[in-house]
Amino acid sequence: MTALVLEIINLNLSFARHGEQTAVLHDVCLSIARGERVALVGESGSGKSVTARIVLGLLGELASARITGEIRFEGQDLGALSPAGRHALRGTKMSMIFQDPTSSLNPAYTIGAQFHEVLRRGAPKISAKAAKERAGAMLAGISMDQPDRVLGSYPFQLSGGMNQRVMIAMALANTPSLLIADEPGTALDVTVQAQTLKLMRELVEDNGTAVLFITHNIGVVREFADRVYVLYRGRIVEKGATHAVLTDARHPYTRALLAAVPRLTGGGIADIGEETDVFAAPMFDHGPGAEARP
Amino acid sequence: MTSLVRVLLSRLLTSFIVLIGVSMLIFFIARVIPGDPARIALGPNASPEQVLVLREALRLDESIIVQYGYFIADLARGDLGISLYTNRPVTTDIAQFLPATLELVFVAGLMMIFIGLPLGILAARYRGRWIDHTVRLISLLGVSAPSFVWAVILMMTFAFILPVFPIAGRISDSYTIPVASGFLFIDTLLAGNLRAFANAGWHIILPAFALALSGIGQAARLTRANMVETYDKPYIEMARSYGFPEKRIANRYAFRPSLIPSLTIIGLDFAAMLGNAFLVEAVFAWPGLSRYGVAVILRKDLNAIVGTVLIISAAFLIVNIIVDVLIAIINPRIRHSQRPK
Repeated sequence: MTALVLEIINLNLSFARHGEQTAVLHDVCLSIARGERVALVGESGSGKSVTARIVLGLLGELASARITGEIRFEGQDLGALSPAGRHALRGTKMSMIFQDPTSSLNPAYTIGAQFHEVLRRGAPKISAKAAKERAGAMLAGISMDQPDRVLGSYPFQLSGGMNQRVMIAMALANTPSLLIADEPGTALDVTVQAQTLKLMRELVEDNGTAVLFITHNIGVVREFADRVYVLYRGRIVEKGATHAVLTDARHPYTRALLAAVPRLTGGGIADIGEETDVFAAPMFDHGPGAEARP
Repeated sequence: MTSLVRVLLSRLLTSFIVLIGVSMLIFFIARVIPGDPARIALGPNASPEQVLVLREALRLDESIIVQYGYFIADLARGDLGISLYTNRPVTTDIAQFLPATLELVFVAGLMMIFIGLPLGILAARYRGRWIDHTVRLISLLGVSAPSFVWAVILMMTFAFILPVFPIAGRISDSYTIPVASGFLFIDTLLAGNLRAFANAGWHIILPAFALALSGIGQAARLTRANMVETYDKPYIEMARSYGFPEKRIANRYAFRPSLIPSLTIIGLDFAAMLGNAFLVEAVFAWPGLSRYGVAVILRKDLNAIVGTVLIISAAFLIVNIIVDVLIAIINPRIRHSQRPK
């Protein structure tokens, strides 16, 4: 039994609005082992991103949010931690990559300055010079030419793909044990997306970083994830090894999701109705599966 | 750096053109207003011959184009003519009165920057909490009443009821400071008199604060509004997800991208204060250029009007150039823009 990096147990989230509670997540359970890559798949509004933000502790400040359930990170109950204790984990033990790299970097500071700030999370006393060297090495390690030029540039001077690499390098700079990737590269070209995903995969394998990969792109899931959780309207409807889920989908929603993927061979886009009754079928668990890493 | 120089040069050129326009405009407007400057200057008891002589000396009977030509020729030599009000060269008058006003406006501008911006940052960082509400109330008060009302209120409260600050003037009479630059803060230091320097500082606080209050309010409101918008940007969420300290997020990562509109407004307010200074100067018996300007307008003292307006316009333009350059420094997009030509 390998140690779990992240374990989410019966996570519920609801927002109070106009005196009413709107439930967003229903008893979500999810676990990620050390070094494992897990995809959380679902349509917009299914609750994927909000789950990631709860793990990071970014949602706690919203007074209207009510969160119940347990989140264990490296065996530690996050709910029992003080705000300062949770803050200490961010950027050091867990980090996040965002959807649009260019707008996720501050336009008023150079890449080097922002990288320095990130490295300061891991080593508070790091000097500008040491930070520059470390950042340069990180960028070189992610196949970026002229790292010095990149560090001296502003985000708007770099392409989306370069910014994405910078984001990946930043996210892994402090060797976190958990990386949350929230639809990374959705704003990029498919070719650039493929390149950066490959790089990211190599890096997390080298570092043994566990990844929670949030996406609606089935193709990316197939290439990247060991296991998949399918989220629909705040409920996990199917889970299992990537291969099992993608080749032998059992839940009606997963089937609809797979059918909706546009195919290069044509055949039209599947006609998916609002069959909420069918989609409300109980969760299907493929079990650990052969492909799940030991 | 070259692009900074380019910004500077283009702004200098346009400012020069604006100054020429202003000089024409004020030159013609001052002469179109009804009333004979010579008659006003000499008073009702002067004989028509005396008035004629003065009109001759002022070249008032030439066509207005010719008058403007003479004016430009004099201006090129640094001569703004003689003031009929003080009987001295206008340049001498301006040299005497301008430093007091510049000192006042400069200190008020510093207050806008170093009180207004931090208040805005605090309000944005703690939005919806009591700090935010307090800051918004203060800025609303500052913006909603004209500066002379605040001048009277502040003077009554902090100079009369609670005599913390001096009630009027630039410096206590007990100090005699030799005039070198006209700027008291510089002259007291040149004289090596630190007590006089502190005394002058003590005198300037109330009038400068009264003058700055609306600007402080505007700067705080605008900074808050822009920062609240910036706080919703993905790069702030990214900063949070990396656990950057909340204070650094506020003071750096949210503040700097939000600064440009505030800076523009501060520049405009700075310039507006040059005009607003008159009423504050009147309340605090501050011997500045604004009071001089109004006195000469009422006497239709043509040379002095044109001179004063030109100097204030020049100050306005200089402040705008400084703001443009600052914005270019702060905004890398402007600094690095590679426009052809």
